[in-house]
Amino acid sequence: MTSVIRTEKLTKSYGTHRGIVDVDLDVQKGEVFGFLGPNGAGKTTTIRTLLDLIRPTSGKAYVFEIESSADPAAIHKRLGYLPGEFALYDRLTGGQTLEYFGNLRGGVDRAYRAQLVERFDLDPSRRFREYSKGNKQKVGLVAALQHKPELLLLDEPTAGLDPLVQQTFFTLLRERVADGGTVFLSSHILSEVERSCDRVAIIREGRLVQVDRVDALRDLAHHQVELRFAGEPPVGEFESLQGVTDVQVEDHLIRLRVFGPIAPVLQAAARLGVTDFLSREPSLEETFLAQYGRESAEAK
Amino acid sequence: MAVEAGRSPLAGQVTAVSTFSRLYGFGSVYAKTIRDSRLAFIVVAGLLVGIMGAGLEAFGAAYSTAASRLDLQNLIDSMPPALAGLYNRPLNVETLGGSVSWKYGPFFGVIAAVWSIVALSGTLVAEARRGSLDMVAAAPFGKRRIAIEKLAAHITGMTLAVTFLAIVTWLGSKAGATQPGDEIPLLAAVGFAAWVGLIGLVYGSVAWALAPLVGRAGAAGIAGVLLAAGFIVSGYQPYVQALTIPADLSWFHWTAGNLPLAGHYDWLSLAAVAAVAMALFAVGIVAFDRRDLGTTSAIPLPAMPAALLGVRGPAGRSFGERLPLALAWGLGLGVYGLLIAASSASFASELVKSPDTYKLFQSLFPGHDIGTGAGFLQLLFAYLGYIVAGLGAATLVAGWASDENGRRLELLLATPLGRARWAIAGGVGVFGAIAAMTAVTMLGIAIGVVFAGGDVVTPVAGAAIVGLYAAAAVGVGIAVGGLFRNTFAAEVTAVLVIATFLIDFLAPALNLPDWVHQLALTDHFGAPLVSIWDPAGIVACLVLAVGGLLVGAWGMTRRDVA
Repeated sequence: MTSVIRTEKLTKSYGTHRGIVDVDLDVQKGEVFGFLGPNGAGKTTTIRTLLDLIRPTSGKAYVFEIESSADPAAIHKRLGYLPGEFALYDRLTGGQTLEYFGNLRGGVDRAYRAQLVERFDLDPSRRFREYSKGNKQKVGLVAALQHKPELLLLDEPTAGLDPLVQQTFFTLLRERVADGGTVFLSSHILSEVERSCDRVAIIREGRLVQVDRVDALRDLAHHQVELRFAGEPPVGEFESLQGVTDVQVEDHLIRLRVFGPIAPVLQAAARLGVTDFLSREPSLEETFLAQYGRESAEAK
Repeated sequence: MAVEAGRSPLAGQVTAVSTFSRLYGFGSVYAKTIRDSRLAFIVVAGLLVGIMGAGLEAFGAAYSTAASRLDLQNLIDSMPPALAGLYNRPLNVETLGGSVSWKYGPFFGVIAAVWSIVALSGTLVAEARRGSLDMVAAAPFGKRRIAIEKLAAHITGMTLAVTFLAIVTWLGSKAGATQPGDEIPLLAAVGFAAWVGLIGLVYGSVAWALAPLVGRAGAAGIAGVLLAAGFIVSGYQPYVQALTIPADLSWFHWTAGNLPLAGHYDWLSLAAVAAVAMALFAVGIVAFDRRDLGTTSAIPLPAMPAALLGVRGPAGRSFGERLPLALAWGLGLGVYGLLIAASSASFASELVKSPDTYKLFQSLFPGHDIGTGAGFLQLLFAYLGYIVAGLGAATLVAGWASDENGRRLELLLATPLGRARWAIAGGVGVFGAIAAMTAVTMLGIAIGVVFAGGDVVTPVAGAAIVGLYAAAAVGVGIAVGGLFRNTFAAEVTAVLVIATFLIDFLAPALNLPDWVHQLALTDHFGAPLVSIWDPAGIVACLVLAVGGLLVGAWGMTRRDVA
């Protein structure tokens, strides 16, 4: 397998402020790699370091096996990038903006660009400042895709897009991968990552806490359950059930996690006279963090 | 059932906002607006106070005898209309106050008006466009109050600036008095300062009233055109019959009889201008309150030709993006150059007929042969031309820097365009825009010289100096932006240009040591409009321009992109 993105103990500090710490990533060719984390976790810092927009305090980043700060232009030739927040030229139309970014790459296949514009249902004749947030995002996406890059670096790419356009976007991602491309996208939206990614990395407070396949994530899927009883909660009845962990009691309330089938818990609750029942599927991040927390505890 | 309004029962213990922070800081919309405008206030108040202080000192020293004052009176009487229209009515010019009022009076009003237009066209609309006003408007007070607090903050700033002006005028006349009647009474100083403030506010009120309707650029443009037109028609109305009716629409003309520094008062005209300003302020408040937040109607303007938009590459893009602004600066400089050039020959010939004043000018401006039209053009055009071109350069640097400040740069740098290439190509585009600005300036001077008669080539070629100076200022700005941060590249450039102007203007007037004067780059240019080029200044400009560009490019390769 070929690494398209590889980082070794990548660290970036902003003075006394934390950026990212010892991030080790390895994204293989042909993958759609999700980079998940809450706001301020370090997702954008990692991406900007890969692009050599900012320089690491320590550690190294390689894209296409080229060190990011050694020859950034060689890297940039082969990638398409969409920042999380961006602004373009107010006076240019969407079409002129796309033409300019195409020209900066030495020209692009205009027919393909026109196809992208059509598929995103973008009106290229309007000035950039007149676009809605979603349409500005479309311009950014076409600019990132129009030269058929080998690697797409996308920072929260679906922000502002309506569900239909999101559908188009994910279809285009799959097409890029089918053509041999690689995608690295950051997000804090579970469904976005689940539907599009092969592997996911979780970053939290600047540190990578987990990297795993999305399939593995699904294996980790569990329910968070709350059961309320009129009298003393029958804790022992639930602790002994298959797949039940993390049982906590608070007055008449039992909180627990259920890995695997939930039916035994439901049957026991009904039999023991439950007065209220609440079950929730946790977010992807919570899932990873729950797993990570358990592994940490076990290690200790 | 009625619901009692008041603090939410869910609200916990809150900390009271201090009185100070309600006045300055983050305690209110008013306080934050005052805080945000502190730099503009310092610049404007500094300019008003600096020019007044230096003007009083210089006139007092230069015209220290009764004979020289008479000479000045004769000189003013003999001024050709094309030049006389740029100045105030010459009343009691034998006194310090009268002469300063004649020479500088209208310019104080223009400075205050430009500030007001820029501030009041953008204080609400620009924030709405940025998106932050949505959050402010979601606070528990109405849009009307936001507008009133923003407006009150600007009026406070203007009041403070003209208060300083009044104090300096009053005290400066005491220090600079050399003849009986030179001391300016406090009432006159206050009257003049009130005129400056009101002229500023009334033109600002136009921008304020229009901004919610047509947006910042449209409002500032219309108010700016009114200001320029009002200034010109009022100044030239005594000499051009056709301007009588349009002059009646100019607030400069309304208040033309109010010359407190020359001992003439017309308080009623000030009250009329104040009433107009109040009415327009009210219109702006109501318009902002009633209209949808941030919704404006664009004024249709001709679009730039596609060929000039520069989508083929970064240098062309930078040039295309900066060109409209550069042409606007060039137009302003060109019109000014045209007026000065058109009047230069006849004024110079009159000057030669007045030997004492001629000698006086020669001693004040050694090295300038003001007995010729070109020499006079060099003297009058260059001083203002340098600062205007320099400030133009600062705005062009701001445009160059906006790629990074506006978060376009990371998209640009994600292409194979390297950092150094972006900096250099962008800088080359800015230099191209400066060339366009200079070309328009040269054209204006050429037309003026043709009207006046005489050698066209020498002054037009000499006008290239404003372009060289602007290029040097741009080089400094790009170096600062590349090495440190682009967020203050334009500000540093503007501060450098203003400091250079003040040193060049104040050092001789205040008899400061020669080495102080030599700190100003503009002191090393020679007199290019009369074909005297000082190689040191030219080389310095080229080194700053090219060196700054290279340093900026080098700096960009070393630092993080913001």
